[in-house]
Amino acid sequence: MLSDSAATQMIFGWSPALYASVVFAAVYIVVITEKINRAIIALMGGGLMILGGVVNQEAAIRGIDFNTIGLLLGMMVIVGITGKSGVFQYIAIWSAKRVSAHPMGVLVMLAIVTAVLSALLDNVTTVLLIVPVTLLITEELRVLPYPYLVTEILFSNIGGTATLIGDPPNIMIGSLVGLTFNDFVSNLGAAVVVIMAATLVPLYFIWRKDLTTTAEARKRVMEFDERQAITDPRLLKQALAVLAAVIGGFVLAHTFHIQPATIAMFGAGLLLLLDNYQRKAEEQSHNVHHAFSEVEWVTLIFFVGLFILVHGLESAGVIGSMAKALLDATGGDLKVTAIAVLWGSAFLSAFIDNIPFVATMIPLIKSLGPAMGGEQALMPLWWSLSLGACLGGNGTLIGASANLVVAGMAERAGQPVRFVPYMKSSFLLMVMSIAISHVYVVLRFL
Amino acid sequence: MTVSSLMNTNPITVTLEDTFGGALDILLKHRVRSLPVLDSNGIYRGMFDLYDLWELLLPRAALLEGKRIADLAYMPGSEEMLREKLGNAQARSIVEFLDDQESPAIYSDTTVIEAILLLHRRGGNLPVVERQTRKLVGIVTPWEILSQVQTGKDTAH
Repeated sequence: MLSDSAATQMIFGWSPALYASVVFAAVYIVVITEKINRAIIALMGGGLMILGGVVNQEAAIRGIDFNTIGLLLGMMVIVGITGKSGVFQYIAIWSAKRVSAHPMGVLVMLAIVTAVLSALLDNVTTVLLIVPVTLLITEELRVLPYPYLVTEILFSNIGGTATLIGDPPNIMIGSLVGLTFNDFVSNLGAAVVVIMAATLVPLYFIWRKDLTTTAEARKRVMEFDERQAITDPRLLKQALAVLAAVIGGFVLAHTFHIQPATIAMFGAGLLLLLDNYQRKAEEQSHNVHHAFSEVEWVTLIFFVGLFILVHGLESAGVIGSMAKALLDATGGDLKVTAIAVLWGSAFLSAFIDNIPFVATMIPLIKSLGPAMGGEQALMPLWWSLSLGACLGGNGTLIGASANLVVAGMAERAGQPVRFVPYMKSSFLLMVMSIAISHVYVVLRFL
Repeated sequence: MTVSSLMNTNPITVTLEDTFGGALDILLKHRVRSLPVLDSNGIYRGMFDLYDLWELLLPRAALLEGKRIADLAYMPGSEEMLREKLGNAQARSIVEFLDDQESPAIYSDTTVIEAILLLHRRGGNLPVVERQTRKLVGIVTPWEILSQVQTGKDTAH
């Protein structure tokens, strides 16, 4: 049987390190080109790592971080069921009416709502819920939905940066490094608030001339009755109670030594129980089936394959070599390394999927520990990685999952968001957010 | 039993040159749910039906996959706005409303049970075309099938 930690035999005449690197690079290239669905290629890549003997199946399974998978799965189920109650339409309409349906006011309100929901739920689910009602409101206001959709992309990634559960890179960093919900909020929350405020300023000047409408159109939106959006008040109460308990659980998790996935999965189970225990068996079956069909299995399977791939790279010694190269390039200086990680993560995450990038960076940064002075000394690097990877996703339309979800829905609604126009307005905003993060990381952590 | 024995061989049709407004007038006048659209050679090019009308009148967000907008109870809407949407679409070409995937055709040797399955899955009416040329030869509506099944009466025109 092959060893867990490192394969030593040659594979097709290649060293395990070369084989693992080639498989990983091939997967990366296919993911970037989007020629094949990313779940398929990640599974194929993970399979090749095992079949090639870089890791055996037991080691591959140990390489999968089920805390990340469980947290995502649990939150997807909870949010999916909560969404059925109509609460997200309620919030969006309520917030639009608070600013008298003024187009610029609606933009600001939807930006804030998107950021807050992205921080508390996850940003992909948030945009799935907010974009449809945004399209509805903008159609009634007779304004172009484009500025609103772009703003929601930007703020879903900014808001998601603030918490452990907000954005997949944070879920992975939190889980694999052992950082808590409170660690993220207390270390990144202030930066996120500043970046939100700073991003709204240029957006105002870019779009203020386009965002005008008639009094009649505003009146139409003001006539929306958000209370009618609540389709199931009983489910709403149950879902909000479970959501509040789950978020409270994340805050207290560290004290009670409970992993976030346990809280999310237990919360999902509890909400499913509350939503089903009075129903007949057949209805329960239909209801539970529907709840699980809302889960983004493609993303979860992508994560599974990716964890095996990265574990293969680690076992073959490739991550260690990359860490050594990074140390050589930065001279082992913490400040230089932190800034390099921040800017490097941002630019790479803008053009490649930030999930595989972060999955690779985590073991790489971990292996810098001994040279940098222990685990505690690495903290600035984790915050740099989180800020860079989450905010960098705003740079292009393919930078983050939430961006692609918005673009997909916009396209189907006949309001496409294209790669180049998006990049023209957003890349500089992303650079601005990283510049703010640069100052923040230096002042706060270095 | 095949649909050849019960299809309506003389359905009301429109052509690619027709406008949305013209087709809508025909739907209203004859109280039918759908109209096969033919080119100048009588080749079937798609179906114009009430579904197209509902799509025009509804907000686009309500048409997104996965029923992301579960209902519109909170949106008062107005007759005036619906009329405006209808008015704006009057002169649009009917071609803009065709989607072949929505209404694939069947053949005169298609079995009745297969036709019932398609009606159950898609609703609407089923155009019947020649296998090679896709020339329209008739249409099958739920009423032809019902008459045949309930009374054994051949309603073919």
